[in-house]
Amino acid sequence: MLNQNSSDTLDRLVGLTPQSPTYAVRHEREKVVAATQGSEDGLLAPALPGLSEVDRLYVVLYACLLTPAPELAAEYESRLTKLEANLQTIRCIHQSDIQSIGDARLEAMLSFTHTLITKPINADKNALSALPKAGLSTPEVVTLAQLISFVSYQVRLAAGLRAMKELELSV
Amino acid sequence: MSAPIHIQGFTNDSLGWKAWLDVVQLAQATPAQMSVLEESHPKAKESDYYLFLVHQPEILRQRSIAFNAIMYAPGGLSRAERELASTVVSRINGCVYCASVHAQRFEQLAKRQDVIEQVFEEPNSAGTNQRERAIVEFSIELTLNPEHVNASSIQQLKDVGLQNSEILDLIHSVAIFAWANRLMLNLGEPIFPSV
Repeated sequence: MLNQNSSDTLDRLVGLTPQSPTYAVRHEREKVVAATQGSEDGLLAPALPGLSEVDRLYVVLYACLLTPAPELAAEYESRLTKLEANLQTIRCIHQSDIQSIGDARLEAMLSFTHTLITKPINADKNALSALPKAGLSTPEVVTLAQLISFVSYQVRLAAGLRAMKELELSV
Repeated sequence: MSAPIHIQGFTNDSLGWKAWLDVVQLAQATPAQMSVLEESHPKAKESDYYLFLVHQPEILRQRSIAFNAIMYAPGGLSRAERELASTVVSRINGCVYCASVHAQRFEQLAKRQDVIEQVFEEPNSAGTNQRERAIVEFSIELTLNPEHVNASSIQQLKDVGLQNSEILDLIHSVAIFAWANRLMLNLGEPIFPSV
């Protein structure tokens, strides 16, 4: 059950409405709620200089699919399809067939995403240096790393809130 | 004063941190970058970590607000238990730098280090009592298998006495270190004190 009216992504996807005890507990930490949504809005803002909005959404879609976090993946995929995203690229991301995308810069970004999501300990100095080699500026590398790391946070918050709500409904 | 710990490559020593790519030079920082550095951490202007992240100031600003609210806000889960969860997540993800910082904070708040030694040695069985073991176990599960966390995971926390507000703070503390570890671990490296 979604809370379709909320402008807060997690409330909407987890289905937290003001009547729910989990909503009430979450919103006692209003600063966290606001900065979580603020981070998502900032990282995915169409006007953020550097990486294109579509490329950023490919990255978050891939991160959610790898986690896996199906509801957030569906959310970000629906945003991609509203933009001029390449359906073949989305298909490659779903199949984790990154080499077939045919865009070396995006492939480097997604390969870095794969390592950070599945085995962060393996992303060493060489993994990072692949990004400038693929043409990313340092501010773009920061955006990419923050984006992947933020999604790692958001998917766990979603999972925890969903579990709290599940328990609340079962009692 | 806490005793030095060196277990499985993890430590409670004070470590430095060095970025692998170019950081923003203070002399060239914009007013927006300066104000975010000042809001983020008392020593942000001397820290490679903040000077690197401030390449994207607005993103750093939101991250710092979330981080500080999660780790330092009054009420809810005790600050020591938040630091314990952060140390566990850092141990699981292999972030030696984050583990050292948050191990120290736990020791300062709790005035003991027994559970930190256990977390460094073997996180899966760590915890000096039922409540700690439940916190550690939940932190590991949400870190490694977020898709498996469900109502019974939350019930196990309630069974050892955690209130809803404490459980929310625990979820926040685990999740924010999924974020923090991936910056500290993947954008630079710890500097160990010279012996």
